Amino acid sequence: MNSCETDRDSIGSWLDGELSPSQSEAVQSHVATCGACAETRRQLEKIDRTLKTSLDAEAVRVDFLPFWREVQSRINRKRSPIEQLVDWGRDILTAPRVTWAIPAVIIVLIGILSLDAYLPGWKFGAARNSFAAVDSIDAHGSSVALLRENETKTTVIWLYQDEEGENDAAADESAKSGPTF
Amino acid sequence: MMLLPTNLRNRVLLFSLLAFAAGTTVLAAEKNPQSVQVTIGTILVSNQNDDFDPKLKSMEKQLRVLKYRSYRLLKNDTQNVPWQGNKVFEIPGGRSLTVAPQEFQNNRIALKVRLTEREKPLLDTTVTVPNKGNFLYVGGPPHEGGNLVLSISAAAQ
Amino acid sequence: MELTDSELVQKCQAGEMSAFQELVSRYHQKVYMVILGLLRHREDALEVAQETFFRAFRKINSFQGGSSFYTWLYRIAVNMAIDAQRRQKRNPLDFRENMDDLLEAQNEVAQDPFSDVHDRELRESLVKAINELTPEHKAVIVLRTIEGLSYKDIGEILGCSEGTVMSRLHYARKKLQDKLSAYL
Repeated sequence: MNSCETDRDSIGSWLDGELSPSQSEAVQSHVATCGACAETRRQLEKIDRTLKTSLDAEAVRVDFLPFWREVQSRINRKRSPIEQLVDWGRDILTAPRVTWAIPAVIIVLIGILSLDAYLPGWKFGAARNSFAAVDSIDAHGSSVALLRENETKTTVIWLYQDEEGENDAAADESAKSGPTF
Repeated sequence: MMLLPTNLRNRVLLFSLLAFAAGTTVLAAEKNPQSVQVTIGTILVSNQNDDFDPKLKSMEKQLRVLKYRSYRLLKNDTQNVPWQGNKVFEIPGGRSLTVAPQEFQNNRIALKVRLTEREKPLLDTTVTVPNKGNFLYVGGPPHEGGNLVLSISAAAQ
Repeated sequence: MELTDSELVQKCQAGEMSAFQELVSRYHQKVYMVILGLLRHREDALEVAQETFFRAFRKINSFQGGSSFYTWLYRIAVNMAIDAQRRQKRNPLDFRENMDDLLEAQNEVAQDPFSDVHDRELRESLVKAINELTPEHKAVIVLRTIEGLSYKDIGEILGCSEGTVMSRLHYARKKLQDKLSAYL
């Protein structure tokens, strides 16, 4: 971008009085000698003037007393409970608070979902008390039984073993005393 | 609702993204746990007398399925077992139970379990238990006039 | 001796309704002009302007004096106007009728022997061109043009930096220049 384009882009800020004194002087000097930039200045001033005139024309139509009466009636009017709730919400949820409230709510929600990691036994949502499942069993030649009981959701693998080093009577008793599924 | 100025709106979005990222990291950590806490309860069941150990209250309904008259908790062991690793739990009568976590999916933990007696394998089984949920029971080894029942539960860490 | 805005605000906060009335008297036309510049609909602008003062009254105790009263007031006004603008669901016919009213009113005021067709066409085109800007660009143009507010004040009102105000103004003016080149 050349220096003329740079100055032309700064004309708006110059007219607004927002440039530093040195920048302002540089732009002013350039506009005085550059036809294109002088034309830009003229156009911007005309836009500003036209916009201000058009809105000024409207503003003078607004009489104070009727305006004030309407504002007063809003102030004095009894607000419905819903309007009061909305007003309260607006007062509490100012923009800076919303900046913190929204991520805080997200963190709290995620925390609740993760709560059972910190409170053993606490369960969120549907109970997780489902069955233990058995995928494979190898009893190395011994007898084995698999029990599932629906009401209590119990899963039992029962290994039938003979007692070692006990007399026959005790061994028989032991074998008979397996669970009665 | 008042429109948020652009920079404040961007700040809300940024903080929300950070909060979401932080929160999902916590959840993701749970979904990809580092280890499994395995708890083995050793219970002596018999018909020698009528008593129910109060320490077994939480599993009473399930144990009663076995229809014994007496239930006594001998020991309760908890160990952290790394994924693809294993830990050995000592069981009375010269026995041991080796537990090796295999997989964590849909909030259930797959375990390889081996029951050994004096170095001889008695039982090899692959089971899936709910994370921090229901027990699996392995019973049968005779002991002191009754039988041992091992309760197995697991919690992803 | 005329009280300053800060003094009037303090009196409002102490419960003096007459002080608030004086503030409304000082700013009602300016607030209306800013809102009309954004909404381009007379009745809506009036309604939003009145609601702005009602909100300001409700929140007067929260005004700490960190900014000037008028930037605080304009912030309420601009936010409400932008909200109203996004909710504005005027069908094109309603919009067209209202625009014609507005333009007619402007022409009435400007109607003098020296006002020419060219100026009228410029005003009509300017109104339409402003309306095609985004709410954020419209807001900077209106606040700067009507109120002559500094970039710092505009930034405070809109919640953005001075640099953002400058770039939005530059963009808006370029757009208006392009659209109105035939009339400028």
